[in-house]
Amino acid sequence: MNRKNVSTDVRIRWLKRMMLISEVSVIFLLSAVISFLTIKKTDTALKTKVIAMTSALNEQMQMNLDSYLQRMETIGTLVFAEEEVYKYSAVDSSNSDYEAIKTEQLIEDKLYDLCIMENFVDFAIVYSNNHPVGKVSNGTVKLFGDNLYSDLEAMINRPKTADGWSTGYKENYKRIYYVKRVNDDAVLVISFYTNELDDVFEHPGGIDDIAVQLVEANGIVIYSSESGQEGKVLDSEISERIKGHTAVTTMDNKYLITLKECGDNWSVVCSAPAKKILKEKNDVTVFVVIVTLITAVLASALSVLLVSKIIRPVNKIVDSLSDEAHNDLLTGILNKKTFEKKVDESIKQNIDFKKKAVILLDLDNFKGVNDTLGHAYGDKVLVGVGDILRRVFHTDDYTGRLGGDEFCVYLNISDLCQGNYINHIEEKCEELCKAFANNYTGDNDNYKISASIGVAVFPDNGNSFGELYKCADKALYSSKHKGKDTYTIYNESMSDKEETK
Amino acid sequence: MFESLHPDIKVKCHYSEWSGYQTRNDVRMVSHTESDVMQINYAWLKQYSDDGEGYYDINQLSEYVDLSDFTEEDLAYGMQNGKLNAIPIALNTMTVYINKTIYDQYGLDVPKTWDDFFHAAEVMNGEHYPISMSKKSAWFFLVSYVGQMTGKNLMDDEGNITFGEKEVTMMIETYCELINKKVMPQVEYFDKLKIVDGSYAGVLAWLSDAENYCGETIENGYEMTIADYTTVNGELNSWYAKPATMYAIRKDVENPREAALLLDYLLNSHEMAGFQKLEKGVPLSASARNYLEENDMLNGIQYDAFIKMQESKDKLEIISPYFENDTMIDAFIDSCNEVLYGKSDETEQGKILLRNLTAIPE
Repeated sequence: MNRKNVSTDVRIRWLKRMMLISEVSVIFLLSAVISFLTIKKTDTALKTKVIAMTSALNEQMQMNLDSYLQRMETIGTLVFAEEEVYKYSAVDSSNSDYEAIKTEQLIEDKLYDLCIMENFVDFAIVYSNNHPVGKVSNGTVKLFGDNLYSDLEAMINRPKTADGWSTGYKENYKRIYYVKRVNDDAVLVISFYTNELDDVFEHPGGIDDIAVQLVEANGIVIYSSESGQEGKVLDSEISERIKGHTAVTTMDNKYLITLKECGDNWSVVCSAPAKKILKEKNDVTVFVVIVTLITAVLASALSVLLVSKIIRPVNKIVDSLSDEAHNDLLTGILNKKTFEKKVDESIKQNIDFKKKAVILLDLDNFKGVNDTLGHAYGDKVLVGVGDILRRVFHTDDYTGRLGGDEFCVYLNISDLCQGNYINHIEEKCEELCKAFANNYTGDNDNYKISASIGVAVFPDNGNSFGELYKCADKALYSSKHKGKDTYTIYNESMSDKEETK
Repeated sequence: MFESLHPDIKVKCHYSEWSGYQTRNDVRMVSHTESDVMQINYAWLKQYSDDGEGYYDINQLSEYVDLSDFTEEDLAYGMQNGKLNAIPIALNTMTVYINKTIYDQYGLDVPKTWDDFFHAAEVMNGEHYPISMSKKSAWFFLVSYVGQMTGKNLMDDEGNITFGEKEVTMMIETYCELINKKVMPQVEYFDKLKIVDGSYAGVLAWLSDAENYCGETIENGYEMTIADYTTVNGELNSWYAKPATMYAIRKDVENPREAALLLDYLLNSHEMAGFQKLEKGVPLSASARNYLEENDMLNGIQYDAFIKMQESKDKLEIISPYFENDTMIDAFIDSCNEVLYGKSDETEQGKILLRNLTAIPE
């Protein structure tokens, strides 16, 4: 029965531990699933939002550019508003110098009026003899040299409207040119610095991480919101992702890219490293993970608390069962089986053979108490004996009830007292006798309750509880003979008497 | 660069070609769309801020703009009615750049007088023009000539024309003579490339344009030198100087501190000095000038032109703010052309020109 109780106890404790572990695991698992789903949902929502925003931004940039270029073309078209302007040819030999100067002054004034608020680098009509009328910058003069007319003429690539856009002339990507044929001997040139496109490609705040680039069909960057990119080949990481498309929005772990082609084989490319553009997403992920972790930890702590609350009564029952299995139900000290087991275990572990003592007690006149005062009183006496033993002996000592009114103490003797252990044993026995005397003398004059005590010493008198018990019992017998209420320490002569008897 | 030094300030730049800049500036000033910090011409101070209220009083921002880098005299150029409306970047004057290599080929000395130019034209015999210039330079050149010849000024401080019919007629006559005797090409045909290739043996241009006009010519192996300011008889007068472009702040600027920090950066910072070098002339800011000196950047044709100006500083007259009116200059060249092409004579055109000049509003 006791063995069964011990095994149940262990099992219940194991179950308790497993229950807690399972519970915490379930909470963490559940939290992980919730956070994964939340992150996934947020991730998708944010990605969709960012893609839509970037796509709209690209669309807007492309419209801005178209509108800007259209405005330039309209200004160019206005040159044709006056016949004198578009019909004049500076290479016509029939022109007199005076008329030429007058007409060119008129053309210059006209052009001046058209571009007065524009930040053009060049705005002029260039004739086939390289003579410009209007504004041609020193930079342009230097760059084109004697090929001013022919190289500008070569930039016309739209036959229908006899005009064209161009950049990268002699690897100079700082200027963009618009050229339109005015007549057989003349072309109009409008040029401006690419940084004028800053206004065109200015995008709203909050999406600073997006780089806006205007790219030629050959992959050369005409304009970039990031400085120093003009004239360079578009980053291969980006160009690989948009290869073969004219309009696309793509996103992977590295980049978010949108592409939209506009006229003249130019494309607006908006790009951003996914890490940066989805920073908000990463922040949300970190937030969700932290919140989930905190929640999981709190939930686990709460759960452990609740479980321990719920389990406390069970623990009590288990402890009680355990006590019942090991202790004497009446006195609360060890029962015979447990006492014997513990003493034997202690002896086995006592490899140094330190002195120990088995003190055996038998109540004097207990039968008379039972007969006269009843069993209930007798039980009270036994409980009292248990109390005395607990009071007199240290917790290191084992105290047990071997049955009826027979009690036993397994006395540990400290290292200090090993040298004169007999004295120590005697002191303890005297203390015990005195405790009996104090407890039961005067309380009930009818019966003075005392104990006869026999003591055996390990290893002098035996190497097991059984051997020691036998010797202690002989000594107890001797105490009874001496008139009770005394103690006797076993000696070899007692064994001889037994054998003699 | 400025933005990296002041990350909290964002600057939006507007490129603007100088030709037509005044008209654009006019439109912006009248329509209240001018920039917070702007480059202005000395002439516009009177036009837009006669009472000192047209631009911000930079004295109020001396906490951010280090005015101690400028002398009182320099700052006086930007004072209007007791308010510091603008700060000059550098001083500027019309400068005579001579291709000494060409002149040497003809055994000619560097010209000092108008007669020297006429003489050079005779010697060069149409193979080279001894001098060349744009429309505006021609205006200055002729005003100086007539001023020296007559002792009169073109206009008074208020912009009223003080030249009479005789003086403007002399301007037209002299211009036509310069053209007819091949001293210089017609301003309409002035071509910068012909300075570079040596076809023009000289050019009259702003000091601040020295590198622009002479840099490449020097690269082509020609020796360019700074001639004395041209005089009739060696006596220098009627030659004008002015502050090169100035910086001003919009009168009702929303962020005066930020505008002032940018202004200080443009005028005084080492970064800007190193970046701009002598492009706008030798800076008046002591801080910028010291930086250029310490880094051996005060050299070249632009610096030579600056030294020439410094040598004659006391004799140069400060230009009237009304002097550079494009309409006046156009009217002058129109009259010259009428005479040059035999459509009219000097006397008639003198009357017409005077009428046109006096009719032009300030």
